[in-house]
Amino acid sequence: MAEEKSYYVIDPEGKLTCHKCGVPLVKANAVFGYLDNAFPVELPVCPKCGFVYVPEELAMGKVLSVEKVLEDK
Amino acid sequence: MDFTERSTRAYRTKQLYTKEELERREALCVHEQPAFCSAACPLKLDAREFARLCAEGDFTAARAMLERITPFPIILACGCGAPCSSSCRLGELPGGEGLNFPALERAAMRLGAPKTGRGMLKFKKKKTAAVFGSELFTLVTAAELARKSYPTVFYVREKDARELMLNCAPFLSGGDLDAEADRLNGMDLEIRYSAGLTPELFSAERGKYDLLCVSREYLQLVSPGEEPDPVTLLCPSIGALARCGGESGVLAALYDARRAGVSADRLAQGMDPATMRGEEGAVESRLYTDLSSAAPSRREPESAEGYGPEEAKAEAARCIQCECVECLKGCAYLRHFNKFPRILTREIYNNAGIIMGDHMMNRALNSCALCGQCTVTCPNGYDMTEICLSARENMVATGKMSLAVHEFALYDQIFSNGEAFLCRPQPGYEKCRYVFFPGCQTAAIAPEVVMRAYSDLCSRLDGGVALLLGCCGAISRWAGRTELTTETDELLRSSLEGLGNPEIIAGCPTCSVTLRNISLSPVRGIWDVLLKTGLPETASYAGTCASLHDSCGARGDEHTQQAVRELARRLGFELADGEWSGDRSPCCGYGGLVSYANPPVASELARSCLNGPPEQPQLVYCMACRDRLAREGARSVHLLELVYGVSASETPGISEKRRNRLYLKQSLLRGIWGEDVKNEPLGFRLDITDEARALMEQRMVLDTDVQRVMKAYLESGEAVLENDSGLLVTRARIGNVTFWVKFTEDADGYTVHRVYSHRMTIETR
Repeated sequence: MAEEKSYYVIDPEGKLTCHKCGVPLVKANAVFGYLDNAFPVELPVCPKCGFVYVPEELAMGKVLSVEKVLEDK
Repeated sequence: MDFTERSTRAYRTKQLYTKEELERREALCVHEQPAFCSAACPLKLDAREFARLCAEGDFTAARAMLERITPFPIILACGCGAPCSSSCRLGELPGGEGLNFPALERAAMRLGAPKTGRGMLKFKKKKTAAVFGSELFTLVTAAELARKSYPTVFYVREKDARELMLNCAPFLSGGDLDAEADRLNGMDLEIRYSAGLTPELFSAERGKYDLLCVSREYLQLVSPGEEPDPVTLLCPSIGALARCGGESGVLAALYDARRAGVSADRLAQGMDPATMRGEEGAVESRLYTDLSSAAPSRREPESAEGYGPEEAKAEAARCIQCECVECLKGCAYLRHFNKFPRILTREIYNNAGIIMGDHMMNRALNSCALCGQCTVTCPNGYDMTEICLSARENMVATGKMSLAVHEFALYDQIFSNGEAFLCRPQPGYEKCRYVFFPGCQTAAIAPEVVMRAYSDLCSRLDGGVALLLGCCGAISRWAGRTELTTETDELLRSSLEGLGNPEIIAGCPTCSVTLRNISLSPVRGIWDVLLKTGLPETASYAGTCASLHDSCGARGDEHTQQAVRELARRLGFELADGEWSGDRSPCCGYGGLVSYANPPVASELARSCLNGPPEQPQLVYCMACRDRLAREGARSVHLLELVYGVSASETPGISEKRRNRLYLKQSLLRGIWGEDVKNEPLGFRLDITDEARALMEQRMVLDTDVQRVMKAYLESGEAVLENDSGLLVTRARIGNVTFWVKFTEDADGYTVHRVYSHRMTIETR
């Protein structure tokens, strides 16, 4: 089976640490969902507790613009 | 009531209007109606555009317009009776004269450069035509048929083109005669000069051609007594086109030739010439032209040589370019989208019909202030409010309306009618004669004003004054959310009933309208009460000039408009009403939830409300207007601030507006009803930096949202440490939004540095 496409990839590059678990965040698979649409992405995730980190630039940039497009669908 | 996100995969639509309902609405907008001069021309010269080109000095383009509408433009310019000039609206002004179009046409023909080249390669048509006899009609018809690429033969008695032209257009002077004769010679038209126009010629030749046209004189020879059909100009017995008897005038001849050309086309295609002819001739224009600012002027005198370029430009510059822009003049929303109501309505109608794909008009239909100004300014009463509101309701009903646009405002209404709601009779009364309803924005922006007003009303009115703090439901009505509106109506009705259905004293003109529609009790404004009881001791008197902005809620309510003016006068103000006062007043941008859906349009609307010099106070009688105008830098003052000698909050933020409502409720409960209200302590210190505060305002994040995120962090301990900045980042999903907070932590609490949010959900996979 072909590997699922990722719309957006962020590598934490060791710059983020899970405050609760005390381990560095790693690049892992996640899914953004909105109005019954799903977008597979790769984001910094805590390998222990599964906390998915959405950086401000992503939330107020790409995510916001996709939200606005979908809202007019 | 909670709102859940819709799905873009629900494929439902509901027709907004039937075709007839749509057309009935569209027909009210006359912007696209032709100018009166253009409508009067049977040849359909766009005379307004012609005048514009002449005024710009582009005589070549103006000449090309004339050459397009007739094969002999000089004949037109010299012989036309000019119904355009007589229908020019400038002639209606006392002492004014209509534009001299024939003189401009002559100037355009003389000053404009002729068309160069032969234009596009045209293939000859297979059907052939013959025209018999010389008169203006046959001359022009022959030229029309030649222009339509029918191989045409023109049989005339005359010896040459000049003589032919002289007989057909005897009014032409020497130079013009030669020019039109040259034009005739240059046409792709076979002219048989010196033809013996006998009945035998017709009998012998008619079989050779598909299309025939005869002069009036020749018709009497070949078919005595026959009259052509008045619409098609076809003589059935001989199958030839001819003019009807009794017709005269150059323009009529040119127009008949145009009609004969249409009939020829239909006949050549083997179709009935009486049908599918399109719109022909002069029409009645329903255009509205505002002549109030047009100054009467006289025609530029035309010398024997005609206008020079400067004279022609000056004459054409008198044209006021008639068009109806009454709605756009007053409405910043329509100006922003630069669309007239007719086209906007059609696009909104189409928008509602989209099953899959982008709804391009969502933003436009959510940016209307629903204020009703266009209905007043439009000469035909166009109602964009009804159209945009019904479109919003339609989209909510079919699950096509984005929740994100209005969600914040809707939860604000729910907050006003939940946490901040208060309904109490005056202490000592079970049922009251009156109830004060200040409105949610009055409570949010000026809680002290509400407190003083309520105390004043209680002390000076007999029979008990109850208090009802809440939202009238205008927000959900504007958002098209009928379910929440119905719920709110029921809440207010039952609350009023519990108070004995007292007379409502409204502090907001929009609330007055809403409450009048839903309740059984009479409603009057607080200004009516103050005019009757007199001003309280707290009133501060000004003695200056001021401008007054009328609330859109008071549109069509002359009583309220007069009452607030009288109140302002009693406060010592000298008011000067302008063009946009009273019923023509624009909306401040709060109406229709524009400030949520499209903040730039809301700002444009607010700026359009500022109708006085900036140093003068801008009086208002709606607290939403007070806030919106202050945000645009105006010295806006609500009349109640002056009456009760206490100021409103200066452009309060979204969280402050909520805090104000809670503060008002709790202060009144404590002060008037003696109830102690305990606020749940947060349990930790929470500081918000100025940077974070500004982001929260811009991104519509409430203090309470941040508090809930931090509470969630306190419970779960979940956060990410940004190694570079040293900031912790945590998040919580509240309703349909995930809020993220960047903070630092110390022994007794947190300092918030940045805040952001998104509506998308996020999961691992």
